[in-house]
Amino acid sequence: MMTSETPQTAGSRGAFSRAAREPLVQFLVAGLVLFTANGLLNGEEQQRAQDEIAVTEGRVEQIAESYRLLSGRPPSRAELEALVDDFILEEIYYREAVAMGLDADDTIVRRRMRQKLEFLAEDAEASKEPSEEELAAWLASHKQDYRLPARISFRQILASRDRRGAKATSDAAEFLKALKTGADPENLGDASMLPSALPLTTQEGVAALFGEAFASTLFEHKGEGWFGPVASPFGAHNIFILSQEPARDPALDDVRGKLRADWIEARRRKTREDFRARLRQRYEVSIDWPGVYQDQPAPAGAMSAD
Amino acid sequence: MNDDFDNNQPGNFIRMQIKLCARCFLIAAALLIAACAQETSLSEETSEAAKQTSEAGAGETSAPPPSRPNPLRNVYFGDLHLHTRNSYDAYLFNVRATPEDAYAYAKGGTIKHPMGFDLQMNSGPLDFLAVTDHAEYLGVLEAIDTPGTEYSKAPYAKDLFSSDRGDVIAAFGHFVVSLRTGEILPELSDMSATKSAWRQTIDSAERNYEPGVFTTFIGYEFTSLPEMRNLHRNVIFASDKAPPAPFSAFDAQNPEDLWRWLDAKRAEGMEALAIPHNANASDGTMFERVKWNGQPIDRAYAELRMRNEPLVEIIQTKGQSETLPLLSPNDEFAGFEVMDLYVGSIKPVTTFAGGYVRDALKRGLETEARIGANPYKMGVVAGSDGHNAAAPYEEDNYFANHGVLDGKPELRGSVPPPDYESWDAYYADGGRAPRAMGSGGLTGVWAEENTRASLFAAMRRKETFGTSGPRIRVRLFAGYGLEGVNLATDEGVRAAYENGVPMGGDLVAKQDETPQFAVIAMRDIHSAPLQRIQIVKGWTDETGKSFEKVFDVACADNGAVDPATHRCPDNGATADLETCEFSEDKGDAELQSLWTDPEFDPAQNAFYYARVLENPTCRWSTWDAIRAGVAPNPKLAKTIQERAYTSPIWFTPANDDQ
Repeated sequence: MMTSETPQTAGSRGAFSRAAREPLVQFLVAGLVLFTANGLLNGEEQQRAQDEIAVTEGRVEQIAESYRLLSGRPPSRAELEALVDDFILEEIYYREAVAMGLDADDTIVRRRMRQKLEFLAEDAEASKEPSEEELAAWLASHKQDYRLPARISFRQILASRDRRGAKATSDAAEFLKALKTGADPENLGDASMLPSALPLTTQEGVAALFGEAFASTLFEHKGEGWFGPVASPFGAHNIFILSQEPARDPALDDVRGKLRADWIEARRRKTREDFRARLRQRYEVSIDWPGVYQDQPAPAGAMSAD
Repeated sequence: MNDDFDNNQPGNFIRMQIKLCARCFLIAAALLIAACAQETSLSEETSEAAKQTSEAGAGETSAPPPSRPNPLRNVYFGDLHLHTRNSYDAYLFNVRATPEDAYAYAKGGTIKHPMGFDLQMNSGPLDFLAVTDHAEYLGVLEAIDTPGTEYSKAPYAKDLFSSDRGDVIAAFGHFVVSLRTGEILPELSDMSATKSAWRQTIDSAERNYEPGVFTTFIGYEFTSLPEMRNLHRNVIFASDKAPPAPFSAFDAQNPEDLWRWLDAKRAEGMEALAIPHNANASDGTMFERVKWNGQPIDRAYAELRMRNEPLVEIIQTKGQSETLPLLSPNDEFAGFEVMDLYVGSIKPVTTFAGGYVRDALKRGLETEARIGANPYKMGVVAGSDGHNAAAPYEEDNYFANHGVLDGKPELRGSVPPPDYESWDAYYADGGRAPRAMGSGGLTGVWAEENTRASLFAAMRRKETFGTSGPRIRVRLFAGYGLEGVNLATDEGVRAAYENGVPMGGDLVAKQDETPQFAVIAMRDIHSAPLQRIQIVKGWTDETGKSFEKVFDVACADNGAVDPATHRCPDNGATADLETCEFSEDKGDAELQSLWTDPEFDPAQNAFYYARVLENPTCRWSTWDAIRAGVAPNPKLAKTIQERAYTSPIWFTPANDDQ
C-alpha cells in the first residue's frame, strides 16, 4: 500500500500488521476511497463483518441527495431502490477486489492513491492567507527576487552609417563638439525610426532596441552632459542621460500580489516536501540493485530522504 | 471530471469535508475526521477562497504603470498563435507546459522543453501573446491521462501516452481521423474537461495581462479539417468577455457557422475576430470563389466574412501563405519557406490557387467587380503555431514546434538520422526529404498603447504586419500631398496620418491626383541589415481580370531601382555557411521611400502592400548542422531572406460606390 516507492519486502499479511501500527496506513486500508470515508462520517457502519453490509439511513439519504443534485428532483422509491442496489453491488465488488488483493499491484490504483494523498497534503494549507508579518519576512528573505532593475532615460543623436558610411563616427565626434559648445540638438544628426528620447527603460529594454554593447555602455557611463560616440548597428550616437534610477528594493505594497502568490506557493511546496520527508522517514528501505547497475557510480544525493 | 486538479470545482468530497487540525497535519485524515468535525469547511467556502485567490492573482499584475498613449502610435510585437499542454496534440507530444508557462516565456522568462532543455528568447520579451489551444479535445488528453476520470476509461487510454516517436504519431492519428470528419469521439464527448481547460485559459490570460507592459488575449483555435484540408482559424477575443465554451469544429466544420456564432456573441457583447492560417495547406479551399454549399459568393457572404475575419496569418512554422512561384512566376522572392504538404500528413497539396493570400487579395478584387463586395479584404499578421508553450522566432535559437517529435536536430531533418553517416547515404537509401518546417513568425501592431483595447482596435483596422520572425519595423502610408514627408520623424508621421491612410486602410481616388506611398522600415538588430523594400501591387482591369506585379522601391547600399525591371541591383550580401557570419557592411539599418506607381490607372481597383527583405542569413537547419559538425541537408534551403509583409492599402476609383 504505502510501499509504492519501496520494493515489496513483505506479503500483504506483513503490510497489514504494519498498518496496525501506522495511523496513516490504517487510514488508507480503512479506505480513503470516498464512500468509506463518507461512511465514517455518517457514523454507523464501521467495522463491518466480512459478509455483512448494513446500509444506514444516512447513506440512503446521501444517495438520494446525489441523485437530486444530478437530476433536479428526488428519486422515486423505485429509482432509489435501484441506486441502493447498485451501491451494494459496488460495495461487494470493492470488498471482493480488495480481498483478492486486486488493488495492490494495480498501477492505476497506486497512482491514484498517491495522488489523493498528495492533494490532501497540499490542500489543507492552500487556503491559509499570509499575515502582514509573514509577507514582510518573505520579502526580506527573498530581496533579490523582487529587486527592480536599474533604468535610465536618455536622448540620442544618430550619425547614420547608412547615410554617412565610414564617416559616421567622425561626424558624430563633430556633433559632440558642437553639442558641448551649446548647439541645438534638434538641428543635429539623422532622423530615424529610433526614438530620439527614451523614457525610463531597463538595460534589457535598451538592448532590445540598440543592442547589448550600446546598452551596457550607457548603463556604465558616469558623468554629466553629452557624450559619445557610442556605436550601434545603426551608426554612431551621442547620448545625454536625462535621468537614472538605480536598482531598488520595492516596498511591500508595490509587490503585494506577487508576494502573496509566491508565499502561498512556497508554503504549498514546503508542505509537500515535509510531508514526503516525514513519510519517507518511517520506512526502512533496502534496494537490491541489478548487477548491471551495481558497478555504476551513484548520482550525487541519490536515495537521500528525498 | 477530474476535480482534483481544479480548485474551482467543489466536487472533491474529501476536500469539502475535511479541514484538518494542525497537529494531525492533513494526513491521518479519515481516522481523525470525527475529532476535527467541528472544523469541517463547506464547499462554498472552498470555492470562495479559490475565487479570491484568482481575483487577487489578477490584481497582482494589472496594477501599474499605465503607459501614455502615443497618438502617432508605437509598434508592438507579439504572437497570436501558440499551443500548450491543453491542446490534444501538444499533450501527445509530451508537452506539459501550461498557458502560465507560455506567458512566462513570452515575457522573456525561461521554461523547459519536453526533452528537458531550457527555452528562452535572445531578443527579449514580446509585447503580447494569445494562447490559442485547439478547441477540439481542449484539456481532454490530460483528463484521459488522469486515473479515475471518466475519460481515462477510454479503451485506448493507456496506448496514448508514450515518448516513443512512433507511438506518439499513432496516437495523434487517432484524433486526426475525428478532426477530418468533424465527429467527436463518442467516449470523449463529455465537455467538462474542455470547460475546465477553457476556464484555465481565461484565468491565465487575465492573470498575465499587464496593461501598458504586456497584453494577453483570450483565444483558441477552431480546428476545421474537412478531408484533411486545413481551414483552421484562431479566434481572438477583444476583452475579458468570453463565452463559457469555445465554438469548435465539432459544432460545425463550416467556417460560415463560426462567423455566425461570432456575430451572435458580438450581439451579446463579446467582441472577437477569427484569423485563418495555413491557407497553404488548404488545397485551395481557404479562399474559394464559392460558399460552403457550392453557390457563388454573394454580398451577404462577403460581409459576414469581413465582419469576422479581417486578418489572415501570412507566415508561421508550417510555411508561408503569401504566394509561391507557381502562382507568381515573376516574383523571384516567392520561393521562400514553401510548405506544399497537408498538415499532419505527407500528402502533397495539388491546388494552390485559393490557398495563398496574394491570390486571395486578387480574387477579392475580381469578386468585387462582379458583386460589389470584397470577401478577401484582409490585413496581415503572422504567428508561430508553436506547440511547446514557446516558439522559436530566431533561426540561431531553434527548437522546433512539436515536443518529442522534433526536439532534436536528428528528428527534424537538419542532422542525418543516427543510422546514417551522411545525407548522401540517407538519400541513396531512399530516405525522404523532411517536411520544410520553419521558425515562428511575429505580428507587428501599430497602436497607441500596449493594451487590449488599443491593440484590438489596430487589428480591426488592419494596421498590422507580419514578419518571418525578426522584429523588423515597417510603416506604410498612401495619400496625396505626401511630398517631403519623412516617416523617421514625428512630424512626418503626423503629416502621413493627416494626408493619407496607414496600412490596412482604403484610399479613394481624387480628381487629377496620383496617390503617393510613403514607406519606411528598420532592421532588427538581432537579425541582419535590410536589403530592399518592395511594393506588391494587384489590380483588376476593365474586364474584371486580376494581375499582380512587384516593384522594388528602396534599395540598400545606395542602390537605385532599375526603371525597366523595377529591381534593385544585387547588393552582394552573403552568409558564410561555415560560421553563419553575414556581411555587416552590406545592407542598411533603415530604408525608406516615397513612391508613386509608374503604372497607376485611376480607373482600376488595386491593392498595394509592402514587403521588406533582409540580407540572407543562415536558416535554422544550417545552424543545427554547423553545431553538430555535419553538412547541411541538401534538400533544405541553407540561407533565408527574412522578411516583413504589411497589410495592403486598397485603392478605389472615383464614382465607384462599391
